[in-house]
Amino acid sequence: MQKLISSFSLFNTILLCPFLVFSSFVFPQSSLTSKDIQWLETEFQPSTLSLDQQKEELTWFKTVSKPFKGKTIRVVSERIYTHQYESEVLAKAFYDLTGIHVIHELTNEDDVIKKLSAQLMTDQPLYDAYINDSDLIGSLFRQQHVKSITAILSQYEKDYTLPTLDLADFIGLAFTTGPDGQIYQLPDQQFANLYWYRSDWFSNANYQRQFENKYGYPLGVPQNWQAYEDIANFFSNDIGSINGVKVYGHMDYAKSDPSLGWRISDAWLSMAGVGDKGLPNGLPVDEWGIRVEDCHPVGASIERGGALNSPAAVYAIEKYKQWLSLYAPPEAMELAFSEAGDWAAKGNIAQQIFWYTAFVRDFTQSDLAVMNKDGTPKWRVAPSPVGKYWQKGMKSGYQDTGSWTFLNHTEEKQQLAAWLYAQFVVSKTVSLKKTIVGLTPIRQSDIDSDYLTERAPYLGGLVEFYRSQARNVWTPTGTNVPDYPGMAGFWWQSISQIMEGKLTVKAGLDQLASNLDEYLIQLQTQNLTCGPKVNPKVNPQIWLDRPLSPKRQIDTEQKGKTLTYKEAINVWQ
Amino acid sequence: MSGSSMRLITLLITLSLCLFITELKAEKITVYTYQNAPFAEQTDNNHRGMIIEIVAELFTRAELDYEVVFNPLKRGLTMTARSPNVCVLPIERTQQRESDFVWVGPVLISRYGLFSDTKNSIPLVTLHDAREYSIGTFLGSGISEYLVSFSHEVQLTSADNLNLKKLQKGRIDLWAAELITAKSIMMQTNIRLGEPELIYHTSLRAMACNKGLEKVKHRALMDGLKSMYQDGFMQKINTAYGVSL
Repeated sequence: MQKLISSFSLFNTILLCPFLVFSSFVFPQSSLTSKDIQWLETEFQPSTLSLDQQKEELTWFKTVSKPFKGKTIRVVSERIYTHQYESEVLAKAFYDLTGIHVIHELTNEDDVIKKLSAQLMTDQPLYDAYINDSDLIGSLFRQQHVKSITAILSQYEKDYTLPTLDLADFIGLAFTTGPDGQIYQLPDQQFANLYWYRSDWFSNANYQRQFENKYGYPLGVPQNWQAYEDIANFFSNDIGSINGVKVYGHMDYAKSDPSLGWRISDAWLSMAGVGDKGLPNGLPVDEWGIRVEDCHPVGASIERGGALNSPAAVYAIEKYKQWLSLYAPPEAMELAFSEAGDWAAKGNIAQQIFWYTAFVRDFTQSDLAVMNKDGTPKWRVAPSPVGKYWQKGMKSGYQDTGSWTFLNHTEEKQQLAAWLYAQFVVSKTVSLKKTIVGLTPIRQSDIDSDYLTERAPYLGGLVEFYRSQARNVWTPTGTNVPDYPGMAGFWWQSISQIMEGKLTVKAGLDQLASNLDEYLIQLQTQNLTCGPKVNPKVNPQIWLDRPLSPKRQIDTEQKGKTLTYKEAINVWQ
Repeated sequence: MSGSSMRLITLLITLSLCLFITELKAEKITVYTYQNAPFAEQTDNNHRGMIIEIVAELFTRAELDYEVVFNPLKRGLTMTARSPNVCVLPIERTQQRESDFVWVGPVLISRYGLFSDTKNSIPLVTLHDAREYSIGTFLGSGISEYLVSFSHEVQLTSADNLNLKKLQKGRIDLWAAELITAKSIMMQTNIRLGEPELIYHTSLRAMACNKGLEKVKHRALMDGLKSMYQDGFMQKINTAYGVSL
């Protein structure tokens, strides 16, 4: 794919060169230097803007950044291709354009959160801005450490806000908006967790016949967890091996590591149907099983009205553990997120219920076993299947947007310089190219672009997902979680004890729910906006007897249901 | 049950809880650190440095008994992983290490720079620009792993101060060093390289403790550390050692 992109850029450059020479005469008022024009010519193509519009954007950055020339700003983000492109290419282009030196540091996701927490604890100006997931929205609006984007826009509307920023064009803005209507973060990159499968194996007539004979319905994109389980069993046990290679019907990971916690807290419970209906997150009970009443978190355990140790949550984790031991490669138990990521690319995994689209770039490298010779993938992504407690109107999977976050205590000029860099890396001049490099789209205009239409067959369903309504039902951790950095660590510690067999699923979830309740009680002493007001413990049956979440145990089993790829996408049109 | 019996039982439970907590707190914690001037130095039987002072204040505030033992970093980490009531610092707290220890931090916030020889300036805009140069650092340092992970050409020495000589002899183009340590080494060796070409990385360093560390001790240490930031102790000690962010 890298080669394809390079040849595309070269092609564009050849086409654009005469026009660029011409335009430099037509727009003599532009203060852009030949170096700036070179960036436009060689790097920032294609774009949804015309060349003139791109030049206008760059001229604006050059003009407004003059007071900040010579400054050094520090930003930190997680380590994915999109941010690597920003730190290596866009930071350099911004320096050439504005004279503002950006140290754009890359580190692991958990480390970004730890650094943000450390800056708040120590009051030291470690970074001028952070790019972190919008999972923190519940913390941001309650703790008020962040200068909201709404406040920045209103304060600097005339002087430092890019006229073509076009907020309405950002597809992830709902994720970064608090219940108070304030936008707390500016989206920078966006990814989802989708169902991944080997479309070449699924379309094999022999396998289709065998599957239907045994399970009584067609082999296709699973719509519920029973179908996912049947397909997992089919490939792991009924088929067993293909061309002499052992194959597996499921892939996941379970090493004791912070990433195991995210696997579950991201959306595993919501896929099972633990929470309530409501978008972007269940209300009053969300995907973490935390109940909120009138914006105040009141408990995670069923004893306090939450659902984290409810029958639906037990079902969710039992399936996670069961599928790992019965259908995944034995090594999965010892792998963390970063180690498990490339397993499916080796070619012996049939499907994965929860697969990060941030891997699309890795999985479309031409030399992989999961790629066709014509450059199209042998795999596809589609909306993930849901568990037996799930009902229409509930969130269905996980999607997040790594977003720009500015802390209140950052010195104003530093913050403004960082704000300019943030606007630059999401500007329409560069955003389509950034999307092509990292495949983490943030703008509707990029998703609708002709370029992505042409590339869609080579991206395994990514473009189709982002053009469907499903993208509104795949959402990040919501506003019910009042302190994400403080609470996220509890997940992996309890879930790993369950996976290692030290605790039963129920006991592990009881422990997790109790830990979160205790933490919410501690937070009551802090002066938080919409802070927790934890309910007293009562007999869980009182809550289970009420409608909605926490839901009573469902003893009936689902019947497996599948659809063709096209039908599976059409469900979300 | 009568009210007086209830009160007696409550009193007994409270007393035994207090005794239990006192007993826990009385058990001495061994804190491993390593030679790393100016943060921690051992001369004869003297311990000195910023870390030594931070540890003393931290354990006093937490009301916990402790002893500092100097050992190579790797041994300190091994001992901490194996034995209860053992901690080691300063350790870079990273996602990979998160589940191996119980953490108290940050105790140090470190910045890393790339230094060039005075007669051979190498202007750098991004860390990526340094990819065409050979970079010297030392064995076991977290920063060497960080640079290697970005495909930089890294050369390792057994001790960080050797990199200065390598830089002067042109055997490496850049030296990747923690800023305060670099300053200290330059003073010791009387070699002045000036400002780094690029300050490219910030790391949080913490005290890593055995996973069996009792919750009550961990809470006491975290509360102690938090108060050290809140009342200005950490600011003061950082300034005293010339650490400025």
